[in-house]
Amino acid sequence: MSFLAISRGSQKGKKGKNNKNSFLLFLPFLLFLLPFTPQRIYDALDSEAAETQRDAADPQRLPLIYWAGGIETAESLKQAGIEQIATAPDKAVAWRKAGFKVVALSQAGVERREKLLTPRIAGRANVASATRRPWIDANGWRFVRNPAGKFYYDLPRGKAAMAVAEAFAYKADAILKIDPADLTEAGAMIAFIKNLPGATHPAIADIGVIDDKSPETGEVMNLLTRRNLLFKVVTVPAPQFRVNIKLGSNEYPRTDAANPSEFAQKIRQRLGDENRSLRIYGTEMVICRLTGDGARARLHMLNYSGREADGLRVRLRGNYGKGEANGFGFGRIEMEDFGANEPATEFSISKMGIYAVIDLIRSN
Amino acid sequence: MKRRTFVQLLAATPLATTIHANESKDVPKYKVVTPHKPAALPGMPGPYPGKVISVKSAKCLNEDGTKINGEVVREMMERGMREMTGEAKAIDSWRRFFTPEDIVGIKVNAGGRPWVVSSHEIVAETIRNLMAVGVKPQQIYIYERFQNQIDQVNYSPYLPEGVNIFAAERANARNNNQSYDPKVYVEADFFGEDDTRSNMIRLVSQQLTKIINIPNMKDHGATGATGCLKNIAYGSFSNVARTHHKGVSHTLSFVGALAAVEPLRSRTVLQIMDGLRGVWHAGPFAPTLKYVFFPRTIMFGTDPVAIDRLLLDIIDDERKRRGAISIWNRDEKTLDFNNGGARDKDPNVNIIIREPGHVEYAGNLGLGVHDIKKIEVKEIEV
Repeated sequence: MSFLAISRGSQKGKKGKNNKNSFLLFLPFLLFLLPFTPQRIYDALDSEAAETQRDAADPQRLPLIYWAGGIETAESLKQAGIEQIATAPDKAVAWRKAGFKVVALSQAGVERREKLLTPRIAGRANVASATRRPWIDANGWRFVRNPAGKFYYDLPRGKAAMAVAEAFAYKADAILKIDPADLTEAGAMIAFIKNLPGATHPAIADIGVIDDKSPETGEVMNLLTRRNLLFKVVTVPAPQFRVNIKLGSNEYPRTDAANPSEFAQKIRQRLGDENRSLRIYGTEMVICRLTGDGARARLHMLNYSGREADGLRVRLRGNYGKGEANGFGFGRIEMEDFGANEPATEFSISKMGIYAVIDLIRSN
Repeated sequence: MKRRTFVQLLAATPLATTIHANESKDVPKYKVVTPHKPAALPGMPGPYPGKVISVKSAKCLNEDGTKINGEVVREMMERGMREMTGEAKAIDSWRRFFTPEDIVGIKVNAGGRPWVVSSHEIVAETIRNLMAVGVKPQQIYIYERFQNQIDQVNYSPYLPEGVNIFAAERANARNNNQSYDPKVYVEADFFGEDDTRSNMIRLVSQQLTKIINIPNMKDHGATGATGCLKNIAYGSFSNVARTHHKGVSHTLSFVGALAAVEPLRSRTVLQIMDGLRGVWHAGPFAPTLKYVFFPRTIMFGTDPVAIDRLLLDIIDDERKRRGAISIWNRDEKTLDFNNGGARDKDPNVNIIIREPGHVEYAGNLGLGVHDIKKIEVKEIEV
C-alpha cells in the first residue's frame, strides 16, 4: 500500500528523475511514517471520516487504467481520450515523453492491491436468495468498507466501462487492467465522468454497521449494498441511524448472518421501506450510491444487467427540485413524471445504459 | 371456505387504498395508488353480473382441431352477443358497449402460442364489429405485455389497416418500464423482493376508454386456471411474476387486487373467452398439442368472475377425465418447484401450490359472482 501511495503521489506534476531522487532522499523518513499511513488512520475511523480524508486528499479521483502496451500504442490511447495511465516502471519515461500523466507501477505492485470482482451478473445457484433475482458481482460494499483501500480490477473484455463507473461512483482508488479492445469504451466513460458537474458530497446512509472485519460482516455489507440499503461503517452505534448493526450482539447474533440475504431482509424490515433514503423500482439490477450535503444530492446509478433500461423509478426521501440527469451513452437524460411531496421525491429516468448520474437540489 | 371480505378506503389519502380482502395472515398488504375514480357502473362486473353465454360449435375447428373456421366463429359471436344483450341485431349488441368516440383496447393472450392464444378469427371479428359501430381502426389497440410473444402470434395479416398492435415490453426481461404508469400501481412485498410495485400499462390508464378482454381456457401452474381475471390483471401490470416463488403463489389475492384497480376495472366492459381450444396441463403455455383439448366454445359476459368460475370446472373436469390431479390439490407431495421440465412431462406434478381460490377472492372484491348457484349460464349450439 505504502509503495503505491508514494509512487502515485510522487508523480504529480514532477519529472521522473527528480521523483526518484526525492524518493531515495526521504525513504528513511517515509519508513518512519509507515505506521501512520492513511490506511492505519482510516482503520480507526468510521467510513464518513475516512471518506472525508480521502476526498480531501484527492477530490477529483478518477479510476486509473493500467496499460501494459508499448509506446507504439500511444495513438490509440489518445484517440480514446485517455490522458493518464498506470504502467510498468520501465515504460513510464517513454509514456511521459509522449505527453501522458503516468503512475509507474509494477505488476507486483498492482497485485498487492485488493483484487476486485468483475462487475457483472453472475450465476450463483448455490447461494440462498430470498427472491429469484440474479446474483450480481459488485464491489461497492468493499469501497464503503474500506474508503482508503487500494484496489485493482483484472477485467475481461466488455467490462472496462462498467468498472470505471463503479470505481468512480464510490471514489475508489482503483487500477483497472482492461482488455485492449475496451480502450475506446473505457475512455468514453472517463470522458463522461470528467464532464459531470463537480460534486464531492458525503455519502448518505440509513444504517450503521460496526465492522468487526469478519467475512460475515463483509457479506452482510455486500447484501445491504445489493439491496440499495445504504449503510456507513461506524465505530459505535450512531444515533442518526434507525438501525445499527453489530454482528455478535444480542440483537444481531452471528448465527443470523448465516444467510446474508435473509439477514439483509431483516434489516430492511427493521428500517422500514418508507424510511429508506432511496428506493429503485423497475429493476433489481441497478445498484446506487447516494451522496448529499443537505442542500444538494447526487445519485450514482450502476446498471449491472448488461441491457439498457428505461423508465426506472427513483424515490428519494426528502423534497428535491428537478435537477440534472446524465447517462453514459445518452448525455442529458430526462427526469420524467417528477413529483416532490413530503416525505419523498419521485421521478423516472427516461433511459440509461450502464451508468447514470443524477444531481438534485434540495427544495426546502 | 368462506372468506370475510372488506375493502377499506383511506379517506385521508384519496389516491391510496389499502385492500384487505382476507383476514388470513398469508394475504399480503396491498397499497393501491391511482388517481382514477370508478365509473358509475364499472365494467367489471358490468351490466350482466352472474350471466354467461356459452356458444358451442363442433364446426368451429376442423376434425383435428388445428384449423379455425372463421365463418362459424362469426356466427358464434353474433349469437353470443345477441343472447347476452337481448338485442335482435348484433350491431345493436355492440352499440350497448361502444360508441364511435371510444378508444378501445383488446387485451389478447399471446402466452400460449401457437395453439392456445386469442385466435386471429375472434380478434378480427371483434374489430369488424367495433368498426361497424363506427370506431376507427386507428382507435383500436390490440395489446399484450411482451412484444416477442405478440409478434409470434402475428395478428397483422388478419387486421384492417390502421389497427394498432401494442406491447409494453420487448420481452419478459424487466428492463422496459416506460410503458407503465408510475402514478398507478399496487405496492406489495411478497417474498422480500426489492421492487415492490406493479404498475398499470399507460395505454390502459391514459388512453383507452374501453377494454375487451379475450382470454383463453387454460390450466395455470400458479392460479389453477387462467381466464378472464388473470389475463386482464397480470396482462395489464408490470412486475407480476414475483408473486410465485419456491412453490408458493400469492395469486390467490393479487389477481383480484390488480383487476380491481381503477381505471382497469371500470374500462373493461366485455369478456369474450376464446375456448375454441384449451390447455388442460402445463399452462399457460401450449408449445405442442400434447395437453391441448378442444372445448369448441366461446363464452360471453361482462362478469369475469362468473366466466372464470365455470372455467375452473372445465379445466378440472378435463384433468379428471385425463387422470390428472385436481387443480385444487394442495398436497405438497405433488410439488416439484422450479422443475418445469418435470411438470411438462407429468400432469401429476405441480410446480406451485395452485390457487384456484383467486376466482372466489375476486368475487369477494366485488368483481363478479362466484357462487355457482347464482350464475346463469345460457348454452347455445351453433
